[in-house]
Amino acid sequence: MSEGTPGSGSGRPGPDRRGSASFGADLLTDLFVNPLDPGYADAAERRRSTGATPVHGRVSGRIATAVVLVLFGLLLSVAYQHVVAGAPAAERARSGLVDEVLGAREESESLERRAARLRDQVAAERDRALGGGADVDRLRDLEAGTGLARVSGPGMSVRLTDGPPDIDPVSGEPTGENPGRVLDRDLQRVVNALWAAGAEAVAINDQRLSAVSTIRGAGEAVLVDFTPVTSPYLVRAVGPPGMVQRFASSRTAEQLRWLQEKYRMGVTVSGRDRVVLPAAPQPRLRYAKPPGRTASPSPSGSGR
Amino acid sequence: MIAVLALVIGVVLGLVLDPTVPVALQPYLPIAVVAALDAVFGGIRARLDGIFDDKQFVVSFVSNVLVAALIVYLGDQLGVGGQLSTGVVVVLGVRIFGNVAGIRRHLFRA
Repeated sequence: MSEGTPGSGSGRPGPDRRGSASFGADLLTDLFVNPLDPGYADAAERRRSTGATPVHGRVSGRIATAVVLVLFGLLLSVAYQHVVAGAPAAERARSGLVDEVLGAREESESLERRAARLRDQVAAERDRALGGGADVDRLRDLEAGTGLARVSGPGMSVRLTDGPPDIDPVSGEPTGENPGRVLDRDLQRVVNALWAAGAEAVAINDQRLSAVSTIRGAGEAVLVDFTPVTSPYLVRAVGPPGMVQRFASSRTAEQLRWLQEKYRMGVTVSGRDRVVLPAAPQPRLRYAKPPGRTASPSPSGSGR
Repeated sequence: MIAVLALVIGVVLGLVLDPTVPVALQPYLPIAVVAALDAVFGGIRARLDGIFDDKQFVVSFVSNVLVAALIVYLGDQLGVGGQLSTGVVVVLGVRIFGNVAGIRRHLFRA
């Protein structure tokens, strides 16, 4: 270390400064004005008055400084590694949860597919057992009407997507509020308008609606028959040819246009030549029974 | 020169050895880094001012780290750890900025 002229070029007050330091508002001022530890000035003053430190003292001091700097480097790298190691832990937990959710969703989808396949099989077996005829046709029509069987036919679709989230003008971050989000109410209105326009079968994101279906909001999610559906919401319906025009002139369509304009909610209405809607899950009727029947636990007890 | 070398050796040692910090000490790591930075920048400025002193540097480094950790520890025990940490960071941050400004004046004459 070079032994420069003590206190040169800094204009710093001498060591006696500490004696005059008062504790109060001046303490903060002092902190801002004189960031350097006064100890350095003291040491320089002492050196000047007593002469240069002996050689062995300087060597040991330099070694101590080097050791401290090694420690400092160690501290820096350890802190760095600590921070780096901390971030992936949270990330790992999150991705693990995401994997779990995706796995569970896949499983439920495959189970649903299997249920649909088995349902078709059951229907075919039943048709064979009944041996065809007017009764079977009537049964099929009833099933299609109540949502228990797949249906196809001309129709239309309404696609709703969440509007872009509100951006805070100051921070540029999303504010967490999104008035353009599609709510359960919007889906309910659309479905009601479709029924009113003459739809005979309606499905939201391939969830067929039946007489006991529910559309409700649970926090951020929309549940259709207790199955969460997410944006984009595709509401498809089978119905008469004039359905698109009737829907477009409904109050709901007007409201959707307003939402589209004001909150940039995505709304697309289009007619379709052929729409295929899946079957709704079998309603679990535990209390409701057709009159005249007493013992059977469910209307289709033997068919399951 | 020796100082820079020692610093590099320290960083490399930390990266190679990858020492595990005891869980009890982990909350004090960031505050210790800030306190150490203050001492190091103070040392650099003193060096540039020509009044560097080894003993002063070593003592200020060790005491800075220990006092900062102690304040945070006390704060944690009293339930005001976050606020006290903020206080320590503000005070040390002001000093770091002041010292860096001094270093800048020395290096760039601006």
